Amino acid sequence: MNSAEAEFRANTALLEEQFDEPAQQREAATLGMWVFLSTEILFFGVLFAGYTVMRVLHPLGFAIASRQTDMLLGTVETAVLLTSSSLIALGVRAVKLNQWRTATWLMAGTASLGLAFLVMHGFEYYKEYTEHLIPGINFSRHGPQAPAVELFFFLYYCITGFHSLHVAVGVILIAVLAVRVSHQVFGSQRYTTPELTALYWHLVDIVWIFVYPLIYLVGRAG
Amino acid sequence: MDIRLSADLSGGARRMKDSPQVTPVRNYLWTLAALLTLLALSAGSALLKLGALNSVMNIAISVTKTLLVMAIFMHETHARRLTRLVSAVGFVWLAILIGLTLSDFLTRTKIPAPW
Repeated sequence: MNSAEAEFRANTALLEEQFDEPAQQREAATLGMWVFLSTEILFFGVLFAGYTVMRVLHPLGFAIASRQTDMLLGTVETAVLLTSSSLIALGVRAVKLNQWRTATWLMAGTASLGLAFLVMHGFEYYKEYTEHLIPGINFSRHGPQAPAVELFFFLYYCITGFHSLHVAVGVILIAVLAVRVSHQVFGSQRYTTPELTALYWHLVDIVWIFVYPLIYLVGRAG
Repeated sequence: MDIRLSADLSGGARRMKDSPQVTPVRNYLWTLAALLTLLALSAGSALLKLGALNSVMNIAISVTKTLLVMAIFMHETHARRLTRLVSAVGFVWLAILIGLTLSDFLTRTKIPAPW
């Protein structure tokens, strides 16, 4: 396919027969994506609900446990994810304006920041392994609050583990997106796929926005 | 009859054009700046001895960040009302889940065994 053909493709919306106009087709796709994202909110929601109950029951144990996480690394990870969200938003904007080179770089940047997040989290997990903070496998804490600390770390691995899985899926999706954008598959009339992928990435970001204070910031004062 | 028929009834996909809605770059940049400021605020406030207010601050900041991400990055300000409703429903359901669960755990009293 030559570049003129690619440009024509990117600038012509392909309308399925059940829709009257491109805007209606895109709204339907966005609505469907939000239905999926709602199931994601509830998927992480039960973990947060479990966390809330356990923290209400064991406030001291959760404060002790949270102080053993790496606050600096957690803060940097949050900044990295927030920045990656803005990059993909700018990337989708560039796709809509047919700025394929810019869009490709922005998407690649997003995927790289996602990858950086995963690497940093890997370091965190390794550090916790060396500090014997893995419940059931490698856990050595004693004292009256030890069971609550173990509970906190169990929830910590569930929540951050599933979140990292979502980040990993996002990194793959966005890397593929970057390649396709560089081939001018998307454009001013064809941007539903980049837009919906971005929605997914923003939701993964939102989940982390709540993980950050609940995991890293408890009992830090004093 | 209030049924809209497609212009082309022969079936299959058609090609049409419209102009995409584009947000100015500066909107994305000030949103990022606001998000990073809020992040610094939550990290900083967590180090102050505020008691129960620490948790309240942290959750309030997270909710504000979420609203910013949804409004600007996720284009909820341009979305149809139905889309906005559906995007809010997941969070409302979660609030009900946590609210009802807590209403149980927070109101339990320990009843000592009579023997």
